[in-house]
Parts: sequence; structure tokens; C-alpha cells
Amino acid sequence: MSRVLERLSTAILEGDKDKAARLVERALDQGVPAKEILDNGLMPGMDEVGARFRRGDMFVPEVIMSADAMQAGLDLLRPHLVAGGVELVGKIVMGTVKGDLHDIGKNLVDMMCEGAGFEIVDLGFNVPPEAFVEAIKEHKPDIVGMSAMLTTTMRAMGYTIKAIEEAGLRDRVKIMVGGAPVDAEFAKRIGADGYGSNAATAVELAKQLISAN
Amino acid sequence: MQVKPTNQLINTTPVFEVFTEDEIEAIYYSALRVLYETGVRVYCMEGVDLAHSGGAIVEDVTEDSALVKIPPWMVDRARATLPRKVTIVGPDRKYRMELYKNQIYFGTGSDTPFTIDPYTGERRRATYEDVKNFARLAEALPNIDFHMSLGIVQDRAVGTYDRWQYLAMLEGTNKPINITAVDMEGVRDQFEMALIRVGGKEEWKKGPIFSLYIEPVSPLSHSKEVVEKLLFAADNDIPFVYTPCPLAGATAPSTLAGTAVQALTESLFGIVLSQLRKPGAQVIIGGLMSNMDMHTTVYCYGSPEMALLSAGYTQITKWLEVPMYETAGCSDAKVFDEQAAMEAAINIATAALVGGNMIHDVGYLEQGLTSSMEMMVASDEIIDMVKRILRGIPISDEDLALDVMAEVGPGGHYLEHDHTYERFRTHIWQPKLIDRRGWEDWVAAGSKTYGQRVHDRVIEILETETEPLLDEAMYKELRRICELADARHKDEELDMKMFG
Repeated sequence: MSRVLERLSTAILEGDKDKAARLVERALDQGVPAKEILDNGLMPGMDEVGARFRRGDMFVPEVIMSADAMQAGLDLLRPHLVAGGVELVGKIVMGTVKGDLHDIGKNLVDMMCEGAGFEIVDLGFNVPPEAFVEAIKEHKPDIVGMSAMLTTTMRAMGYTIKAIEEAGLRDRVKIMVGGAPVDAEFAKRIGADGYGSNAATAVELAKQLISAN
Repeated sequence: MQVKPTNQLINTTPVFEVFTEDEIEAIYYSALRVLYETGVRVYCMEGVDLAHSGGAIVEDVTEDSALVKIPPWMVDRARATLPRKVTIVGPDRKYRMELYKNQIYFGTGSDTPFTIDPYTGERRRATYEDVKNFARLAEALPNIDFHMSLGIVQDRAVGTYDRWQYLAMLEGTNKPINITAVDMEGVRDQFEMALIRVGGKEEWKKGPIFSLYIEPVSPLSHSKEVVEKLLFAADNDIPFVYTPCPLAGATAPSTLAGTAVQALTESLFGIVLSQLRKPGAQVIIGGLMSNMDMHTTVYCYGSPEMALLSAGYTQITKWLEVPMYETAGCSDAKVFDEQAAMEAAINIATAALVGGNMIHDVGYLEQGLTSSMEMMVASDEIIDMVKRILRGIPISDEDLALDVMAEVGPGGHYLEHDHTYERFRTHIWQPKLIDRRGWEDWVAAGSKTYGQRVHDRVIEILETETEPLLDEAMYKELRRICELADARHKDEELDMKMFG
């Protein structure tokens, strides 16, 4: 593996966004194919981050910094990858459902999924079902992620899934849900494809949903 | 006379302090700056207009919100009319909380989606019967001074469960209650129920029988519903708890001082708005302030930071002379186990020693997602133990007991002395469930661990018959309000059977 890719992995591990971007540019200048930069530079760095996080050697703020660095690199690579016909991991439309202003959990999932290479379209909080439907039409995501913090607002997840069904879009997307009062049983009952109990499991779930596609 | 009390400073209870007065002032004046310069976002135009007419700066107006900046003089003005003491009573006035300075009252927490079934040990969604049983427990436990719904009633309609929770609590306890409400309609219905229970508006004014829990969203956001609840509470002489739940490191700075500043800013906005609406509106501030666990991302209820921050913030509220809503008796453990007992003991002791007023969340497990009767009963004993510590060590002549020592002399004993006989019950704490037997006696009694003994006590309380607290006519009248609410919400629940 070339020296520049090794250094890129380290920059990801250290969460150094500027360095990661610089190194991606340098690798591109050196004529390293975008796919190789992704597979042998960005991903090994992020994989190590994941391993250290699971071991309890790295913590969420550090993982987020690494995810930011990963995104900075990926932003530069994306046009090259697309031009080269390389498939990206996947796209997720994310939002906290109608009536709910709590978005810290959703933001965490955003950042962790970005770290795993997903492209995130974040609709923010207090997102009505119609906005989810419109976003599916506009962005054509692989996955829709919904979050709710309150038992009163978790119902809105069910209403949103219903709206997606009524718009005839249900079979085009996988739906994952999460939030403090939500559990797997509830997710099943409202017809979601999966439930993530925290940001890390949400990333695993998103990967599973994509590979099941 | 053995002691000459000249300018003697006496601690009738031990004192625990986190901040000096200078530090408290630094936090308070920092909060004033955040409120004035950063501002808060308000998603209720009626609230925005009220703040504006009272002198606030309104910027960045969107369709449904605005950035509101409050100059320090508005806070001074609000504090001038803010009640320094708030009283909340039980329906028959026997139980009461007089919230000011160092008066401590412990109570439960509210609205956990899950509960642990006392008979099967299964973790499941909470029901009406659970909430009623928790209230019966609150009634039976001497160290529980106020009650909240330890479970979300999920075997009733989703949009109206709050009324059923209130009914279930009124069935189970005559202690003061801190209610939650799903929306404004829920506040109105429960207020109507309370007026029926207490006998009308004038009776309510003599002593409100509930306070209303209102939670602004950190950082620095006040939703429409939150502001509407505040305005309604102010209009109707309902004491309310205006309590954010900032999460250090996620929805607040990771530094505890920064989190305290932000939480105070959030609550000061509630104070200002309430006093603009109605001078004298009764506000309790404080809340749950803790850190995010940086590995699991959960909101920690059992962390030392939670206890420490809650204690520091209590000192700030004492300095401000506004009643405090503290947090203790809670844990991140999944069942009532060693971790639960350890975390509850630490946070109960810390909260009590610093002297906050309404200390809530007794009975919480799993970051407030699960309620536990065992946790509640064990916490009751922990509180009892801590209250002994709070009684301190008095040093009157009788307490110093020099005469008694002279009488008994070297080599004697005190067991049959009147001094012992008259004082041991008040000076030496007697546990109820804690075991102090020797090994053989303990084995003979069944070798039960503390957890098993706590469980037995839970079952004992549940299976002890008690007189109904509501007569049939009263129960029917209160139930009617719940049923009318259900009828109004019928359509929206029928199409989705989300909660099983």
C-alpha cells in the first residue's frame, strides 16, 4: 500500500479533517484510482475507528471527528467514484418526526452513518409525513430513518410509514426507526424494516438493510 | 455546664457545598449574558409577542418561531415578583410540600415506557394497573413525599393516557402529585379533574394539589406546547416545574459549568415569561442535568456528574431563592441490582446533603426508560438512612453526656442507663430491610439477599388491602373526563394499533 494511503488512514483515525482532504487530493494527483483511495485509505482508517470504539478505546466525540474527516475525503472522491461507475454505500433520508424537536439522537446516527460512508439527507426535526414522502421522491434514498423521543410523537412514525405506503413508495425504501421510547416490537408493529437501539447499532442496521436489498 | 456557647456556630445538619457564592454569581451572570446575547428560540408566537411586549429583542422570525433575547433588567424585574416559596398539597391536605431553601422532599419520576412486573420480573410496557400500584406504593412508603406516574399508561388511548395516569395516581395516593400532560387538552382535562377532586377553584387556590411538569428542549429551545403549558399554568395558579434536560457533551457543553449556565438560561426564560404573563406565577426550576455516556450515547441517570451537577445547581437555586427540582433515586441499571443500589445511594445522599426541594426520579432504572417497585422500596430505605445523617450530631449538654460518663465511670456500661433508654430510638437509626443479623440467624431466616427482601416488601405492600381513596361518585366523575377525552380521540387511534 502506498505511503499516502497509509497516512490517509492515520488522518481518519486521528480525526484530522484538513489532513484527510489534503491527502486525498495528493493521492488523486499521484494518479491513485479513487476506488483504491476509498478502499485502502479511507475505509481501513474508519474500520480501525470502529474496532477501537467497540473495544472502548475510542469514544463518540472522537468517532464523530473521524467521521467528519472521512466525509471530507469522500466529498472529494465522490465525483471521481461516480464517474468511474463505483457504487457508493447508500443514501439515507433522515428526520425526527412531526411534533418532536429532539434531534440529538438523529444527529448522532447521521454522523455515525456518514462515518460508514453513507450519504445523508437530513430533513431536520418536526418533519411531517408529507416531507418524508417528498424527500423520497426527490432524493431516491435506499433507506429512510426516523427518530422520536416521546411516546406521544412515536406514533408519528407509524403515520409517516402509512403516508409512504399511500404514496406508493414503500417498496422503494427500507425504513429504520429509533428513539428512547421505541423498541423492536413497536418497530415491527408499525411496519418498519428495522430498529436501532443506539447510533452504533443503527449503522450496523443500515448496512444490513442495504445488503439485503 | 460543660460548654460555653459564645458566638457558637452550629450545624444542625452536615453541610455539603459544590460552589462558593462567587462561583454561583459567575454562573448566574453568565446565564444572563447567554439569554441576552445568544438568546433562545421560541416556537410559540404568543410567547414571542409576550416577551417582546415586555422588552425582549425579537430577531430571525420564521413562520413558526423567533429568536428571543432577554436583557438582564427583565430578569431582575421577573425575580422581583417570583414566589420564593411554593406549596403543593395532597387532596386532603394531610401531606404537603413547602418548597423553599433547604426543605427536602423526595418523590418518584414519571412516564417510563416500560416497567418491571413485580410478580414475573418481566420488563414490559406499563399499564393503568401498574401506575395505580406504584401510587399505592408511594402512599405506603414514608419517605416518598410526592408522586409522579411511574409508567406511561399504554393500555388506554395513546393521545389521552395522561388523564388515565392522573386518575390511577389519585386512586392510589393522597400525596401531592407532579403531573405530565401529552398536550394542552391534557393539561385542561387534568386541571378539571383536580378541581373536582379538591372541590373547586377557590379550594385549589388555597393549596394546589398538583404541579405541572414542563420540559423545554435543550439547547435553548422552547416548543409551542411547552410555552402554551407555561402560559396556562400561570393563568390558572398552577405551580409548574420548568425543567430542561441538558445532556453534557451532546445538547450542552461537556463541561459541567457550561451545562449549568445553559440550563439556567433555559429556566430563566421560563421565569421571565411566566412573570410577564402573571406576576406571582409559581415556578420551580432545576431538572435533570447529566452527561451523555460517550460509549453508549445514553443519558446517564446514575453518573457522579448527574449527582454533582444537580447538587451544584441546587445551590444556584437557593441563591436565586427559587424552589429546586432535583434528581435522585435513579440508576442506569436494567434491574434492581447492586449497581442500582449503589447509584441510588450516591445520588440520594448527594441530593439530600445539598438540600434541594423536590427531589424526583425515585424508582427509575435504565436511564428513565423502566420503572421498578424494588428500586422505589429500596430508595425509601436509603432516604431514611440519609435522613439520619442529615439530623447530624447535636452537641447540647445532654448530648455530650459528660454527667452520664462520670456516673458510669471507667469499666461500666450504658445499656441500662436512663440516658440510653430515653435516647437510643432517636439517636440510633433502625433499618427495616437492611440485615444486621449474624450468619446463622440469617441462614435460618432463609438466606435472603437485600434484593429478595425488597421484593418481598413490594409484594407485601401490593397485597395489603387499603381503603379506597376515592368514593364511588368521585371516581365516576373523574373517570368520565378520561372517557370523554377518549371519545374525542377515538378516530385517530382506531386506524393504528401501534401499542398492541
